Amino acid sequence: MSAVELRNLAKNYGRKTVLRDVSLTVAPGDFTVIFGQPVSGKSVLVRLLTGLETPDAGQVLLRGVDVTKAPAGARNIGYVPQSFALYPHFTVRANISYPLDLAKTPKAQIEPAVQRVAGLLGIQDLLDRKPDQLSGGQKQRVAIARGLIKQTDIYVLDDPLVGLDFKLRERLIEDLRRTQQLLGVTFIYTTSDAVESMMLASQIGVLHAGEIVEVGAPVQIYDEPQRVETMRYVGFPQANFLTGTLTAHGDGARLETPILRTPVAGGLGNGEVAVGIRPEHVRLGGNLDAGYLTTTARVLLREDLGGEEIIYLDAAGALLATVIRSDDHDRQRVEIDQTVTIGVRPQDMVIFADGRRVGRAG
Amino acid sequence: MVDIRVDNLRKQFGSVVAVDDLTMTFPSATTTCLLGPSGCGKTTLMRMIAGLEAPTHGDIYFGDERITRLSTRKRNIGMVFQYPVVYRGANVRENIALPLREEKLTPAERERRIAEVVDLLEMRDAIDADIEELDNGTRQKVAVARAVARQPKIILFDEPITNVDISAKLQLKRALKELITRLRQTIIYVTHDQTEAMTLADNIALMRDGRIIQYAPPRELYDRPNDRFGGWFLGNPGMNFVENFGQGAAGGVLHSPLFAQPVRLVGDAGGGQLTLGIRPEHVRVTTQRQPEAVTAQVVNRVIVTGGQYLVTLRAGDVTLKAKVPTEVGRALDAQAWMQLPLERITLFGANGHKPDIVLQWAPA
Repeated sequence: MSAVELRNLAKNYGRKTVLRDVSLTVAPGDFTVIFGQPVSGKSVLVRLLTGLETPDAGQVLLRGVDVTKAPAGARNIGYVPQSFALYPHFTVRANISYPLDLAKTPKAQIEPAVQRVAGLLGIQDLLDRKPDQLSGGQKQRVAIARGLIKQTDIYVLDDPLVGLDFKLRERLIEDLRRTQQLLGVTFIYTTSDAVESMMLASQIGVLHAGEIVEVGAPVQIYDEPQRVETMRYVGFPQANFLTGTLTAHGDGARLETPILRTPVAGGLGNGEVAVGIRPEHVRLGGNLDAGYLTTTARVLLREDLGGEEIIYLDAAGALLATVIRSDDHDRQRVEIDQTVTIGVRPQDMVIFADGRRVGRAG
Repeated sequence: MVDIRVDNLRKQFGSVVAVDDLTMTFPSATTTCLLGPSGCGKTTLMRMIAGLEAPTHGDIYFGDERITRLSTRKRNIGMVFQYPVVYRGANVRENIALPLREEKLTPAERERRIAEVVDLLEMRDAIDADIEELDNGTRQKVAVARAVARQPKIILFDEPITNVDISAKLQLKRALKELITRLRQTIIYVTHDQTEAMTLADNIALMRDGRIIQYAPPRELYDRPNDRFGGWFLGNPGMNFVENFGQGAAGGVLHSPLFAQPVRLVGDAGGGQLTLGIRPEHVRVTTQRQPEAVTAQVVNRVIVTGGQYLVTLRAGDVTLKAKVPTEVGRALDAQAWMQLPLERITLFGANGHKPDIVLQWAPA
């Protein structure tokens, strides 16, 4: 039995469709990330899950039971909201235990529950403090603890790390993943951050314009995206895209883009296509083997991330990004405005027609 | 173009010390990024240099001139803020020209200066555009151009990229990099974003708790942090730290589950405990046995920047993160071979600073 099942959910606000035919199955113990850009429909999906709203069509099943029309209080799920408001005059302990107090949980059960979640998030020493004595990261941990104090098997976390600085996120990503594994519970988690998604998820559902366009394990959808939105957004830096044309030619076809062209095998069809290339597959330098299609590009900027560099390139008007590891001894030192040779292998060019993958160029 | 010197500079807000008795020279014709987490004092330091905040005590000099008590206007500085400050209803040229009116320039000189900055910031095509029509990245370029055209003694940037739309960020970063490289002005640039600092700065002043922890060129700061704070703060993720490293060393020789052979600690540890630091991208991981490698359990692996894999490894009771190329990450099983190159290891003493000690292979 699945922990959560969404069947053909739809939601409209007036004439505006915000969710359309959303189906998703979450197994017990999964860490499912709903990944989508702002206004893709993530928050509405969370509201349907938690029972704050009801769908116009479709069903929400929790633990195999249809709860589509059940109120929030009857769903027995934990919830960590995106914007956390701690009560300023309450101690950390009282803030965390608030949902249990509200549910009239016997006093004797409350303190052990507080200790348990405080321990998970490493905030045992802060329980007697007031919120204004906490750093931003500590406050966020208190808010997460409050969301987790309800002892249940399904938790919904609505983009809990958005807006936090990235050293803090680094730490909290670890905390969240460890917490979910220790508890052995089901997490449904929304975010618009690709790396956060891939670091946390056992499965990612890519939400785009109100539709789940693809679901899969992070490695699977990163390596073999089936939809153009998956390739474009799941990855950092974002994948490069070229416009292209496929023309049938003998048994195969010719692929033409403004900067690279190559014959491709098989019947991939005719017409306009989008060609996706991951940044790590754009190689710099003159010593590329015959397997690479090459062209020249002008260096726009080198960004130093420490462990790696992102190099932005202008190839005849096409903006391309590439990533080089800082300890790559073969790397070419390039300067802004320098013209360099770049290479891409046909097998690293993923071809999409009408947003759907039709194949690779090699 | 002058250097900026702060001498025993302090700023206290009530009991909170924002800048803690800081003495430092920011060299002329150099871009220094003040980098650190929120609350480290970087913005307060910049505001004191700008004259927007009065120090609790201490002095500020531009070259030989003590300017501690001068008003902002009299300090002859250019400033660029988080949100672009531009005059609505005026075009780009008028926006840049406006502050030049106070400078008593000949019309020819004024035009020359405008042309120069417009050229420098690659905005020739936008010169007659109405401000209202521009995206906020280009507006920020206009704000930069206006600050630069006055030819002030120093230029201060306060997180100028942070609030610019993502689509305009690349262009603005490129323009700032060009400007910084070609102008060779004395620039103080405040940011919390390490990539921005590493990309733009000649030198980074890494700050924490009102103090400068390290002042160095970006790659030096990244590769050779002199304090564990620098190892942690820079990098994504930051350095791995192995606590209590060196415990149980006999005669300076240590048998550790992290190394295939005994290692020797050469130098004076000062009697304190050591912490071993190594960046995730420097931990070498292979699927096949290597001569100097030890076995490690692969606890977790995820895809991160540029398709690399961030791998969590356990050797003995130590857990480390390694950032490895795609092909390596993809091929890993439950067990891997791990190697910590000695030249990539940084040791920190009990106080977090670098001790006078090096790590070598112990002779067999």
